[in-house]
Amino acid sequence: MDLTLSPDQLDLRAGLVEFLDAQWTPERLRAGASSPTPDHDSWRRLSELGLFGVTVPESAGGMGLGCAEAAILCEELGRYLVPGPLVPSLLAADRVPGVLTGDCLVALLDRRDPTAVAEHLPNATHLVVIEDSGLLLHPVEGLKSVVAQQPLDPLTPVAVLAGPLGSGERIGSAQDAARWREVGAVLTAALQTGVARGALELATQYATERVQFGRVIGSFQAIKHLLAEALVRVDLARAAVHVAALTLDDPGAGDSAETVAAAKVLADDAAAANGRTCVQVHGGMGFTWEVLAHLYLKRAWVQQSAFGSADEHALGLAERLPDAMLQAEAE
Amino acid sequence: MQLRYTAAELAFRKALRAWLAETLPTVPPAPDRDDWSGRRAYDCAWQQRLYGAGYAGVDWPAEHGGLGASPTEQLIFLEECARMRAPGVGAGFVGLLHAGPTLIAEGTERQRARHLPGILRGEEVWCQGFSEPDAGSDLASLRTSAVRDGDSYVINGRKVWTSFAQVADYCELLVRTDPQAPSHKGISWLILPMETPGVQVRPLRNAVGSDEFAELILDDVRVPAENLVGAENDGWRVAMVTFSFERGTAFIADVLESRRLLQETARIARSSPGPRGEPLWADPGLRRDVGRLTAEVCGLWSLILKNVSEASAGRVPVQGASVFKLRFTENRQRIGDLAAQVLGRAALSVSDLPGADNSHIVEDRLTTLAYTIAAGTSQIQKNILAERALGLPKEPRWTSR
Repeated sequence: MDLTLSPDQLDLRAGLVEFLDAQWTPERLRAGASSPTPDHDSWRRLSELGLFGVTVPESAGGMGLGCAEAAILCEELGRYLVPGPLVPSLLAADRVPGVLTGDCLVALLDRRDPTAVAEHLPNATHLVVIEDSGLLLHPVEGLKSVVAQQPLDPLTPVAVLAGPLGSGERIGSAQDAARWREVGAVLTAALQTGVARGALELATQYATERVQFGRVIGSFQAIKHLLAEALVRVDLARAAVHVAALTLDDPGAGDSAETVAAAKVLADDAAAANGRTCVQVHGGMGFTWEVLAHLYLKRAWVQQSAFGSADEHALGLAERLPDAMLQAEAE
Repeated sequence: MQLRYTAAELAFRKALRAWLAETLPTVPPAPDRDDWSGRRAYDCAWQQRLYGAGYAGVDWPAEHGGLGASPTEQLIFLEECARMRAPGVGAGFVGLLHAGPTLIAEGTERQRARHLPGILRGEEVWCQGFSEPDAGSDLASLRTSAVRDGDSYVINGRKVWTSFAQVADYCELLVRTDPQAPSHKGISWLILPMETPGVQVRPLRNAVGSDEFAELILDDVRVPAENLVGAENDGWRVAMVTFSFERGTAFIADVLESRRLLQETARIARSSPGPRGEPLWADPGLRRDVGRLTAEVCGLWSLILKNVSEASAGRVPVQGASVFKLRFTENRQRIGDLAAQVLGRAALSVSDLPGADNSHIVEDRLTTLAYTIAAGTSQIQKNILAERALGLPKEPRWTSR
């Protein structure tokens, strides 16, 4: 049992961080937030890193790594607020041609969700519908949808399906659909952990610079405690996400139904609460479009609704609780 | 990252499990909460059994009589004991987890030879004399004085929150040996034999209604200078040394207990009728609350695994320990509130009522009031995280001296 990152995992993470640090500057996020044009160039660059093929076998052109590595990378993508259908691409890279190379953009819709609002559908080439019975692929061309004029998160365009879907092409079984739901929940939780961390870092930075009453505001206990609570949320969410990802990679090592739900609940809470903390610590500036605080909070809210809300996952945990025991290795 | 245990760790778990399965049925029922001599005898008897089986001082180095186990083996040991409901460390707490490791790190050969075997064998019980009525969160402001007189120190002052003082043989005592020095600099760490003349133990009733704590009144108490651990005036560092042994294992049994309490709450809610006759469990709001608390308990277990992994890699999980304590203590208090909500008016009694399994739940709810206070309040933990992990400015200090 070792939950520290291996040298390979640290290298993998460092490589992505170096790329994101150069590419996804606050200026770029601000620019993206004020112009809704899709940024195909940056998406292609992400694909050139091999990002979408993390869990795709090497024989199929991927990295052949596990959910654990995907989660480590997703945390950084969330931290830098990288926009785009990241989780759908990571899920679909091995079965929708063109996703691995960044040529195709996949939007997702889970039939369990009654509203039929899909993130990134306005820019997508394909829509994958997750049903209990399997995965269905639809080209976006010919789908009737209404694009939201002002999406909640300016970096996450959304559209609502406005007509019946055709039958679509079946690209996965019921088992695949169940797996997508689990992996999707964990990777979204990893993104949320990153959002929570990015919001904490931005707020902490501001608290060490902003002076009021002749002191930096980070010297006031009211602010210190807000930020300490935010740190607790990040660390708790990260630990839960890593354990969940590891149980998906190695089903014998734990009870994935439980660890996945716990990760989503804790990471959703961390992202939303830390987004609020980030706005609050910035005071009036936190309510401006200019400061990135609102983007963290809005991204958190978007991702809370993906792959099962915290409430749904909490109900699932409660149902299993009487029979569930903490994992101990079978003898 | 890897969740699986090694073959050696699995073998360790298996052997321990077999020993516990064989041994636990022969353990007598635990004594009453306030039967201090009974509790001491019971806890020491269990420690003797552990010693006989080679499980005493799992985390102590082998050259000092311990098992020299890795942090992961210690995790397995505590997890299995808690899972199979073995007696806890009880009266042995300060000796095994605090004073012993401090003597190993800082004591003289003579001090080690005198105390370590007795602690391991369950023959010697220690208590802790750190906090004072006027020195709680600000421990370094302690005022109990020790004045050198020939080859003795003469000690005067008061200590408080001293658990097991009624039945302890020794006390790890922090005293002020240099009243002129800045607060952290003038402190020394002394071994105080509890039967020394001038030591008075005054039981203190806690909010649960138990005499778990005591006050120590120290009136011209003479302690040999050879009982000094570490150098004179270096006691603050000596006291902090034990914290550097943090391996993330402190709350393993407690997290398992939190899970049990949640399971029990769910069980009671399934069999208790609500206001309209349907089971309480039919309320999705209640189930959501239970589920959210369960998610936290799962996350806390994951955090333990993270912290133990950090310790195995040779790092002290300081941040992890504060993070863990903040969330664990808050979570446990919320579990108690939720359990009381499910018990309804049966939660108005700390003793068992007919047909209600309430006593340990209500008692736990009261006991956990102390969790967010003891060993660094939640507010102090937040200061620690803000300053040490996030690099925010330190709290201003006003010295009253």
